[in-house]
Amino acid sequence: MQVTLVGFGVVGRALAGQLRDQHALLERLTGGAVVLAGVCDTRGCAVAPRGLDIDALLAHKATGQSVGSFSSSTGGEGAIARGFDAGFGPAQFVAAQGRLAGDAGPRVVVESGPSDLKHPAPAVENLLAAMRSGLHAVSVNKAPLAVAMAALLEAAAHNRVQLRYSGTVGAGTPVLALARQAALGDRVLGVRAIINGTTNFILHRMATQDEAFDAALAEAVRLGYAEADPSNDIDGVDTAMKLVILANHLHDLRDGGHRPSYADARVQGIRGLSLALIREARARGKTIKLLGSIDVDGGLKVEPTEVDAGGPMDTPRNVNAVCLSLERCGEVTLVGRGAGGPETATAIVRDLVDVARVHRGG
Amino acid sequence: MRIVMKFGGTSVADAERIRHVAALVVSASAEHNVVPVVSAMDQVTEMLLDLADAAASGNSMQAEALLKAVRDKHLAAAYALGAQQAVTALLERLEGLVRGVLALEELTPRARDAIVAFGERLSCAMLAHVLGARAMDGREAGIVTDDHFGEADPLMDLSMYQVGQSLGPLLDAGERVVVTGFVAANQHGVTSTLGRGGSDYTATILGAALRADEIWIYSDVDGLMTADPRSVPDARLLARLSFAEAVEMGKFGAKSMHPRALEPAAAHGVPVRMRSTFKPEHPGTLISDKRAEGGAGAEGGRVSIVRCVPMLKNLAMVNIGGAAMIGRPGSASEVFAALAGQRVNVHMICQSVSEAGISLVVGGGQLDRAKGALEKTLRGVGSPRTIEVVPNVCVVAAVGSGMRGTRGVAARIFTSLARAGVNVIAIAQGSSEMSISIVVEASAGPLAVRAIHDEFSLGS
Repeated sequence: MQVTLVGFGVVGRALAGQLRDQHALLERLTGGAVVLAGVCDTRGCAVAPRGLDIDALLAHKATGQSVGSFSSSTGGEGAIARGFDAGFGPAQFVAAQGRLAGDAGPRVVVESGPSDLKHPAPAVENLLAAMRSGLHAVSVNKAPLAVAMAALLEAAAHNRVQLRYSGTVGAGTPVLALARQAALGDRVLGVRAIINGTTNFILHRMATQDEAFDAALAEAVRLGYAEADPSNDIDGVDTAMKLVILANHLHDLRDGGHRPSYADARVQGIRGLSLALIREARARGKTIKLLGSIDVDGGLKVEPTEVDAGGPMDTPRNVNAVCLSLERCGEVTLVGRGAGGPETATAIVRDLVDVARVHRGG
Repeated sequence: MRIVMKFGGTSVADAERIRHVAALVVSASAEHNVVPVVSAMDQVTEMLLDLADAAASGNSMQAEALLKAVRDKHLAAAYALGAQQAVTALLERLEGLVRGVLALEELTPRARDAIVAFGERLSCAMLAHVLGARAMDGREAGIVTDDHFGEADPLMDLSMYQVGQSLGPLLDAGERVVVTGFVAANQHGVTSTLGRGGSDYTATILGAALRADEIWIYSDVDGLMTADPRSVPDARLLARLSFAEAVEMGKFGAKSMHPRALEPAAAHGVPVRMRSTFKPEHPGTLISDKRAEGGAGAEGGRVSIVRCVPMLKNLAMVNIGGAAMIGRPGSASEVFAALAGQRVNVHMICQSVSEAGISLVVGGGQLDRAKGALEKTLRGVGSPRTIEVVPNVCVVAAVGSGMRGTRGVAARIFTSLARAGVNVIAIAQGSSEMSISIVVEASAGPLAVRAIHDEFSLGS
């Protein structure tokens, strides 16, 4: 299997490390050697059909340079590298990977760029370019799926390739697969989900430490749960993107209508949420969580919502919970750890193994 | 409002009409955010198809003559409009393609699409020039299709996304554009064409993707009528129609839209207005999901069950009979496989529960082919069967969503036909209950239409 990695940030590097460390296991699970055949960052790309030297690559990247200046002498057999310019960017790189020489195993492009909802088009184009070129696609980038999931799924079907995205929701816990499995044979009436670790950490801290929002946010940043600019998390954007992906993943098990996209979601975050509200809820045996919900008509909503304190949705810290309301089986709640770099990389490996399995079967 | 305005071939048939269309766009733009979609000039698509075939068969004299005709027609209009520069460049590219086909004497469906697409490219360039707008083909607009050149199917979700990406920002920025109808591209950017539904399909795809408020389809008629005014002098214009009714009508009338082209508009709830280029003040026929005031089928205060009575002419009927067919699985399958093998399009099918016979309606021009195919296949299997043909029939239909669940509609239709002395040859009603189709002799067609039209008081 040839893996091409688009984006070489925390997740991308964790994946490269995992491909190196789990080489033997992956070979057994996928039925062939798994090689990192190409990688790009924002400035350039490096390619080696028989696999890049991952140690050398990580060392090179650690010096702050782009993979586009990765030396061909140490990169691995037949390695080449180049910088991006106006006529050759990530999408062209991905398309070129479709013409790469190599074994007959599956070829996969992994989109691991940051989930930038303001500029999702380049990541959509990377995924489309991969599938147009006959390559399977794995995305842990939520933004392209949030804005163009229907289009991407159609492109996958048209090109007879797989599109997988299990790392976008839950990551460490395969929420999408588990939710789907739980709902198969039943009908999904509604979903309520806690799928953003940062906001849950903040709300949990506010409720248990009686801390104001700003103090709890500062603590989340200090512990690395929140980024320096936490807007995507605390404004509900991240939850909404994941909710759209979850709704699409369960689309045929709901009474759907159109496949939803981000524009269909009503989004309200927890920025500046008053501690008084949480105290008042606590007095009534409740607590406040940032819930993403899918109602019976398919309406998507993200907003701070009261849940029972001590109930299944009252999860601590960055623990995710997805509660499905099913017509026959009633409420089913899945609880598990959310995302970080290693968890997301593991989710990608999970997708790669699934791609290989289905590719062999079909 | 955001409006997609689509202009057919007769609306852009010469320089004067292109100016007129430009004036319509300018006047609509004063109030609305407008996306014009344009067909090829009248007759040009046919000329280009002939040109491609002539080139493929190595007939250089005919190809040159057709090329000259295409060139003259467009240059005449282009000079009058001052658009010769854009048009000349396109004509040169067309000429290059035709020379290539001539040299190879080979024409793939992909090459044919590349040639035919120049019809829309040329008219689009001229209208864009007059409007000072950007000319865009379907590929640039974002319509993505599969690889079935000549009759390509849009990848609808992908097209919805790509159109939003490419046209959305331009329109939001107030930029003027004109888009070619009919022309699209596969995911690799190779030109394809949409086939059935053509430019109307382009317009509804754009309308759905851009969340337009309405899609205006301009042609040389005022809108959809209760019946063909040549058969029924007091036929009226329909002010409103549901999507379901329009789809049902589309199967009958050339003046309606192809059902395929209505799909994106119906799926996304964007109303379609059919109107005339020559009477721009006339509101035309509005096709939407909203029911007219006064309930289903209301028209100017009146409620009617049957909304219109279209007629399909130049048809023939084939009756296949024989006791051997009774209770024998596979009989019908043999019949239709034989017809499909000869690419015969079957318009209507009747079979009674006795299974002793199947009656089919086919196009008059396909009758001989249908008969030949059936004789060859069915006589060959040794069981005695009869194949009888009735040339010169037509199908008259009563269409209306109010027919669903209303009792006595069929009784009223057949009583009215009996009163008019029309002999009914065959009948079919689909389970949608939105239309009843009746086969009558060709000569009795107009009489049958009038009888049903009068019975349901559809006239003015």
